Amino acid sequence: MELKALDVEVLAISTDSQFVHQAWHEAELSKMVQGGIPFPMVSDAGGRIGQVYGVYDPDECVDIRGRFIIDPDFNIRSMEILSLDVGRNPLELIRQIKAYRYVCSTGEVTPSGWQPGQSGLKTSAELVGKVYQAWKP
Amino acid sequence: MLARVGKAAPDFEANAFMKGDFEKVKLSDYKGKWIVLWFYPGDFTFV
Repeated sequence: MELKALDVEVLAISTDSQFVHQAWHEAELSKMVQGGIPFPMVSDAGGRIGQVYGVYDPDECVDIRGRFIIDPDFNIRSMEILSLDVGRNPLELIRQIKAYRYVCSTGEVTPSGWQPGQSGLKTSAELVGKVYQAWKP
Repeated sequence: MLARVGKAAPDFEANAFMKGDFEKVKLSDYKGKWIVLWFYPGDFTFV
């Protein structure tokens, strides 16, 4: 699994109980993922956690599709929240994790559309108004 | 405290199913690592 290779801890979380998580895991997920799901499936009973993260839908009584990247200093770096009807793109999650690792290790910034393997930009007074010269995606 | 980009992640402790067992999970136990917190609407659906 690519996220494991990136040394990222994943926590999946829904309002289902841990017992329903177990049932789903045994009925379906363990057949889809060899060796089973390697990360915790957290129970947000009553939506207590989802409310704090702004993803709890009180009409449907579920946590909608929210995704948060938290850095090693325990600060939130990125959040994405989708409504119930559209699933997510894991490739964009992986791109963002690589971008955050890149900016943390280089001190550079990554402009829009940045992809792993590309260089970033060093912010400076000289760059103001000249981004178009330095960044040609 | 509400979740905000650039601010500390709200901590929580909750029950979890992990690798065949039931455990208590505390988000701040993962401090020092990159964490992806992945909410989804329900088991037996797509995520």
